[in-house]
Amino acid sequence: MVKLIDKKNLRVDGRKLDELRPIKLQVGVLKNADGSAYIEWGRNKIMVGVYGPKECHPKHMALPDRALLKCRYHMAPFSVDERKPPQPSRREIELSKIIREALSPAIVLEEFPRTAIEIYVEVLQSDGSSRVASITAASAALADAGIPMRDLVAGCAVGKVDGKIIADVSDIEDKEGEVDLPVAYMPNLDLVTLLQSDGALTKSEFEKAFKLALEKCRFVYDIQRNALLEGFMRTRKEAE
Amino acid sequence: MAKIQRKFVVPGDLIIKADIRPPPNTYKIGDAIYSLKVGLSEVEGRNVRVIPLSGKYVPRVDDLVIGVVTDLNAFAWIVDINSFFPAYLPASDVFGKRYSPETIDLSRKFDVGDVILARIATFDRSKDPMLTVAGPRLGRLNSGHLVKISPVKVPRLIGRKGSMSKMIEQSTGTRLTIGQNGIVVVTGPPDKIPLAIKSIEMVEREAHLAGLTEDVQNFLSKKLGVKPSTIAPQRRDHNE
Amino acid sequence: MSAAERKHEFVDSMRREQMLSELSFGRRLDGRKFDDYRPIEVQIGPIVKADGSAMVKIGHTTALVGVKVQVGNPFPDTPNEGILTVNADVLPLASPYEEPGPPDEDTIELSRVVDRGIRESHMLDMESLAIIQGKKVYAVFVDVTVLDVDGNLFDAVSYAAVAALATTKYRKANVKGDEVTLLEERVQLKPKTIPVSVTTAKIGEYLVIDPDGTEEAVMDARLTFTYDSKGRLCATQKGGTFGFTPAEILKQVESARLKAAQNRKILESAIKNAKKE
Repeated sequence: MVKLIDKKNLRVDGRKLDELRPIKLQVGVLKNADGSAYIEWGRNKIMVGVYGPKECHPKHMALPDRALLKCRYHMAPFSVDERKPPQPSRREIELSKIIREALSPAIVLEEFPRTAIEIYVEVLQSDGSSRVASITAASAALADAGIPMRDLVAGCAVGKVDGKIIADVSDIEDKEGEVDLPVAYMPNLDLVTLLQSDGALTKSEFEKAFKLALEKCRFVYDIQRNALLEGFMRTRKEAE
Repeated sequence: MAKIQRKFVVPGDLIIKADIRPPPNTYKIGDAIYSLKVGLSEVEGRNVRVIPLSGKYVPRVDDLVIGVVTDLNAFAWIVDINSFFPAYLPASDVFGKRYSPETIDLSRKFDVGDVILARIATFDRSKDPMLTVAGPRLGRLNSGHLVKISPVKVPRLIGRKGSMSKMIEQSTGTRLTIGQNGIVVVTGPPDKIPLAIKSIEMVEREAHLAGLTEDVQNFLSKKLGVKPSTIAPQRRDHNE
Repeated sequence: MSAAERKHEFVDSMRREQMLSELSFGRRLDGRKFDDYRPIEVQIGPIVKADGSAMVKIGHTTALVGVKVQVGNPFPDTPNEGILTVNADVLPLASPYEEPGPPDEDTIELSRVVDRGIRESHMLDMESLAIIQGKKVYAVFVDVTVLDVDGNLFDAVSYAAVAALATTKYRKANVKGDEVTLLEERVQLKPKTIPVSVTTAKIGEYLVIDPDGTEEAVMDARLTFTYDSKGRLCATQKGGTFGFTPAEILKQVESARLKAAQNRKILESAIKNAKKE
C-alpha cells in the first residue's frame, strides 16, 4: 500500500495537508469563442470555451422563458496515463451534467429566452480534481463572455488519505486515498452548487473536510478575480 | 458635485448599499446592488453605472444597426445583426403592404451578402427582431471597409454628443457609419482608411479605461503630423 | 454520404470586394503577400503525461498534439511493423461551426491527409517499432486537438504532429518469452525525415499560401503538398468544390516546395532546442 503522508505530515508531492497545488488561470485565450479560459492546476491543464447566448439548435429544445444551458466535459485521448479513446465515456457524461448544474445557479438564464449558452470543457492533461478545476475555469470563461452572472463559482476538492483530511486531491491521492469530496461554491451568495463524495466519513470528519473546502473555494475565488482583472488590464498593455 | 468613484468589478461584487432600482448589468438583494458583469463600476452619489468589458448586442427598438443579408424567402430577408438571433426585414417594409410575392423578386432589392443599414422596428423576448429600412440613409451600403467591434464599446466610439467619431472623421476625412450592434463601415480616401480603422480599434481596446480621448487625439496627431489641438473633439452646437 | 454544408463564416459582399481589390494589388486583407505565412509558433512538450507533444499556432489557428506509444498487436498484413494512428478532433470550443460528436468528413480528411504525409514520407521506421515479430508491436497514437480555427488546419495540425513525433520518448520494452513489459527507461523516437506540408488556396485567379479563416470562407479550391527533407513530394491533396488549371498546379508545386524548406527550418529549430533541455 502506498504511503501518502509521511512522518512530517507532508504529502507525496511535498505539500502540507491543507496546501493547494499551484494554480494559473488566464481568460480571453481563444479567438473564436465568445468567452474562454485556460487553467493549470497542478498538472491539470484544462481549456474552456463558451459560446452564447446564441440561437438554440435544435429549435424544439429552446425554452420559452430562459436560455438553455449546455455543457460538455471531454478529456483528450492523451490527457491520462493510458490513452483514452475519443468517444465520450459514462464518466464524462456524468461530469458534463454535474458541471452544468454547478454553474447554472450563477447565470441569469432568464435574461435570454429561446437561446442557448454552450460551455465546452476540454481536459488536455488530467491529474486529479479536474471537475473542480473545470468549474473554476468555466466560471471565468462565462464572465469573459459577458454573460450576466450573480456570482463566480469556485471549486476545490478535499479528501481523506491515511486517516487525515487534506485539501486539493491529486490523481494519486484520489486513486490510493480513502475519500474524495469535490465542492463548488458561490462565495458572495453563500451557496454550494456542487457536492459529491465517495468513501466513509464520520460526522466530525465531514464537518472538518467541508469547512476546509469552503475556505479553499474562497481562496480559488481570489484567483478567478485576479485572472479577470488581469484580462481587463491586458487590453491596455496591448494598446501600448 | 460628488466625485465619481471607479472600481473594477466582477460578477457578485458589491457596488453600493442603496435602496435604488438596480441599473443595467447589476442586481439587487435587500438594499445592496451587485455587479452581474466584469467591468468598471462608476458611483456618483446615488448614481450607479456598470460599464461591462464584453457582451453581445441586445437589440433595442429604434437602434441603428448594420447587418448582412444571409438568406431570403418570399416574405422577408434574413439579416445577421451580430446578436443572438437573426433579424428579419419584411418585404412589406420595402414594397408596401399590398406587394405580391409572385411578382416581386426580393433579391432585386437586396441580395444575399449585401450589407444594409437599418433600424430595429420591433423586438421582444418572444420573437426575433424585425428591421425597417424606411428612413433617410437607410438601405444598402455599397462600398467601404467593414469593422467589427464589441457592441459595449459603441457608446465610446460615438462619444459624448458624437465627439469621438467626429474627431476621427474630421481628422482623417473619412466617414464612419456606426451600428449600435458593433458593426462600423468606414468610407473615404483609401490612404486614410487604415488610420481611421486603427483609431476605431484603439477605442475598442481602451474603451473601459480613463484617458481614452487624449490617447486617440495624440495617436491621430502623431500619425498625421499635426498638432493635437487641431484634432481636438469639436464641441457640437446644440442646434445640430 | 457527403453533403456540402456551410461550415465557415459568412463573408458579406463588402469584405469580399475588399479582399478581391487588395488581391489585385498583390496584397491580402491582413497585409501579407501571396506566399507569406502568418507567424508560426511551435511549443514542444506541453503535455508531460504524453510520450511526446507539441502545440503549433499559425496566426490564431491552434493545434495541440499528444503522442502516446503503447503495446499492441500488429495488423495481419504487416506483422513486423508498428502501428501508426492519426486522429484529429476539431473541438466545439474551437469554432462556432463545430458541433460535438464524432469526426465529420472534413475532420476525417484532415486526419488522413496528415497521416499520409507522415507515412508516405517514411518519417518513422515502422519496422523498428516491432517488439516480438508477428505478435507484439508498438502502437503510436497521434491524437490531435484543435483549439482555435482560423484557416489552414492542414498545416497547423501537420506541423504539430511532426514536432510531437520527432520529440517523442517512448518506454523501452522488456521481452520475456511471450510477455512484454514496459520499463521506466525511455527511447528517443528518431525521425528519418521531417515532412512539411504547405497549403494554398485559390481565390478567383489568385493563389495564396496559408489561407486564414476569411480566405478559406471565400476560396474556390485548396491544394496541400507535403515534402520530405530531400524536397521530394510525398503526399498531395486537392480540396474544395472548384478546380485548378494544370499550369497553376505546376507553378504551385514548386512555390510550395520552397516554402516547405523555410518552414522546415522553424520546426527543426524548435525540435533541436527541445532536445537540449
